[in-house]
Amino acid sequence: MEESRDGDWTLVARKPYFGLPTACPVCLPVYIYLKFARCPFNLEINSAYPDSDQIPYVEGGTYVAYNNEKGGVIQQLKQDGVVDLDSEFSSLPEWVSMKAMMSSWLADAITYELWLGSGENSAKQIYYSDLPWVIGKVLFVKQVYDVKQRFNISKQNAEKKEEEIYDRAKAAYRALSTMLGEQDFLFENRPTSLDADLVGHVLFTLKALPEDSVIRAALLEHGNLVRYAERHKNDFLTSGQSSASASNFQPPPSAAQASSSSKPKRKPKREKTEEEKSFQRKAKYFIGAQLVAVLLFLSLLGSSSKADLDEDDED
Amino acid sequence: MAKPDEFKPDSPSENPKTEVDDENGDDGYEEEEEEETEEHELDEEEDDEPEPQLRGRIPQSAVRMQQAKLQGLFQRLQTQTVPLRVHDVLIKGNTKTKDYLIESEAALFKNCTTMQQILEVSRAVNFRLQALEIFDSVKITLDSGPPELPGTSNVIVEVQEAKSPLSGEIGAYTKAEARSSTVEGTLKFKNIFGHGDLWDGSFAYGWDNLAELSAGVHFPRFRGASFPLDVRAFLLSQDWLQFSSFKERSMGLSVALLSSTNHDLVYNLGWRTLTDPSQLASRSVRMQLGHSLLSSLKYTFKVDRRNSPLRPVRGYAFAATSQIAGLAPDSRCSRFLRQEVDLRYAIPLGILNSALNLGISGGIVFPWGTGFKTLPSPLPDRFFLGGNSSPISSLGGPTTVWGYRTRGLDPTEPRRQLKSNGGDEDAADPGVDFLGGDLAVTAFADLSLDFPLRWFRDRGIHGHIFASAGSLERLTQNAYKDFSLQKFVSSFRTSVGAGIVVPIQPFRLELNYYYMLKKFEHDRGKPRFGVTFSM
Repeated sequence: MEESRDGDWTLVARKPYFGLPTACPVCLPVYIYLKFARCPFNLEINSAYPDSDQIPYVEGGTYVAYNNEKGGVIQQLKQDGVVDLDSEFSSLPEWVSMKAMMSSWLADAITYELWLGSGENSAKQIYYSDLPWVIGKVLFVKQVYDVKQRFNISKQNAEKKEEEIYDRAKAAYRALSTMLGEQDFLFENRPTSLDADLVGHVLFTLKALPEDSVIRAALLEHGNLVRYAERHKNDFLTSGQSSASASNFQPPPSAAQASSSSKPKRKPKREKTEEEKSFQRKAKYFIGAQLVAVLLFLSLLGSSSKADLDEDDED
Repeated sequence: MAKPDEFKPDSPSENPKTEVDDENGDDGYEEEEEEETEEHELDEEEDDEPEPQLRGRIPQSAVRMQQAKLQGLFQRLQTQTVPLRVHDVLIKGNTKTKDYLIESEAALFKNCTTMQQILEVSRAVNFRLQALEIFDSVKITLDSGPPELPGTSNVIVEVQEAKSPLSGEIGAYTKAEARSSTVEGTLKFKNIFGHGDLWDGSFAYGWDNLAELSAGVHFPRFRGASFPLDVRAFLLSQDWLQFSSFKERSMGLSVALLSSTNHDLVYNLGWRTLTDPSQLASRSVRMQLGHSLLSSLKYTFKVDRRNSPLRPVRGYAFAATSQIAGLAPDSRCSRFLRQEVDLRYAIPLGILNSALNLGISGGIVFPWGTGFKTLPSPLPDRFFLGGNSSPISSLGGPTTVWGYRTRGLDPTEPRRQLKSNGGDEDAADPGVDFLGGDLAVTAFADLSLDFPLRWFRDRGIHGHIFASAGSLERLTQNAYKDFSLQKFVSSFRTSVGAGIVVPIQPFRLELNYYYMLKKFEHDRGKPRFGVTFSM
């Protein structure tokens, strides 16, 4: 495996391809989520287990958050107090419905396109290019069969199912495009896991799927979604690893790891992130209030000067 | 044994006939056999005239003369060389079996120059044909050669092909491609295509949580080759969840290219998958989960000159196994080199049938290819020490240190820690994973001696006192840079003990008491009574 030793947390994901740090549509949102949260982590690649539902997973010491537990990696990281960007929004009806739509309609569209649609070559590149040919071929055939079983697709209903999946994806794009507008993020101009999911989906669709892909063409009709994803891609690809924020949950030390220099215990990450955001919010309010006060002062000062001039004229 | 009635070497007999039907020797097969008793009958000619066949027409004096002549012939066969060579080998009775198969086994007759040699070779050929397991009976008869070629004979090989092509077996085996001894049940189909082919389907269960389903074919002489060919397709499952948090599943082909008493050459092509259904694996094990292709050649040289592998009293044994994996044009398959060496030596001490057995085993595994210094060795191919087998009888590399449980020696790594529902407090300790080593060395000394009571001696039950030591070390992923011989020697774990050995052919059962002289924190071994079972 390839490693980059930058922090205590490690994200194990599938291989990079198509200009993406990880080309797997399930791993990419987790990567982006950790970037949004400014959580320093290493990226390790696992190319030997394409059919594993445990990947992606985040590990730190003896702690591991697998993707097939507790609703996924992101959900586990939130529940275990490692990193949570959704604390203020996860109970909002709009957030819940958007989350459900993304994890069902858009996820199904990607799955269908990769394994049964025009993305077959992309799937082989992402999942099987590092495996011996025989193994890759058998696993691919098995995965195609499993996807057909999952969608309950047969020769009789194949077209109908395809149309249904594409229609839902298009409807989802319209809703998300309308909701996003020209904002930087979907909710209150702050990143959430929903933004991570959407950015990951859009980037994967644009970069990994071929040009004749139906959902790719449908996505390109919504320019704001494309600009939104490209903007964030540039941000997290050029920002590098930030070590300013510390994890809320200190990974337990691993006895087998080579002894590294002992690091001072950092404060819980969640509090610091919320504190920082709260401080920034208050700072904005303060600056806004100061600006209003100055404007009021100037306007009042201006009106009193005019009144003096009028009195002088009457005399 | 040959018991001819009469023979005249000076006057070539026009009608000599010798039947040689031998019993099967101690071949260990459990199939039904027919025992043929030997008969040797020689008819005597009288003054260049055909002899009368029925004794009833021969006067008493002639009978006594014949008996005397036969006695003389028997004495001459025992004391003198009777020149006779084989002109032709005739094969009868094979309706399905190809002639070349029987001819190749009977090719030894061509080099015979005397009657004694012919009789000896007849026994050997009979044994080899019976060993093919495709005949119910084999009868070899010597007939007179062509009249124009005196001093020659024809050999008639008459076979009776097996009536039932199906047979079943249950036994204990140690195969070249297996990692340990197994108990196996087999169903065989014999000689379907007439090439002596033996097709079998078998299920095996090994002591180290191994379960294997396989089907194979054995060709004794495939297309005239001088060595047998074995091809097996296997589906193997091994559960190491308890020790190392992974399960191994393999499927593939195994081809035994060369198989003889001292040499084994096996090619394996397999798809191997490591999984962790428990989701508790440590980091090092998590990194190795997934699929890999194993294409390897394994050569084993073994020589065992001990008087008995179950209770060696004198002699030595040596075994070396070399394996190279990655023999495929695809560079994405598993690549490593593995070497094992075993040496055993038994020194008789002369009192109470006592003997001092000394043994040392070593092994090393290392990846090769691009970036090999930073790559880990494959987890299933590393060395793990500990278990319930005796190092005396097994020659399978460094595997056992008496007293330590299966895979019970460091290095280890903590498993995944699950958070309890109550908050940040840790849940119950999930334990550690035993990771094995890239370098392993074990050694032992065992003093065995008979008990004074005859009852024990008659059954081969004896006592023994032993000491053993062993250690594992990681070398891969740049760990070799920290390796030092002094550190390795100081890391040896040692144990001593005593016990009773009960040989139950083909097994060696030991009832021992173990005491650990030196162990590390996570080693799974403690002073205890235990049973060791090996074959």
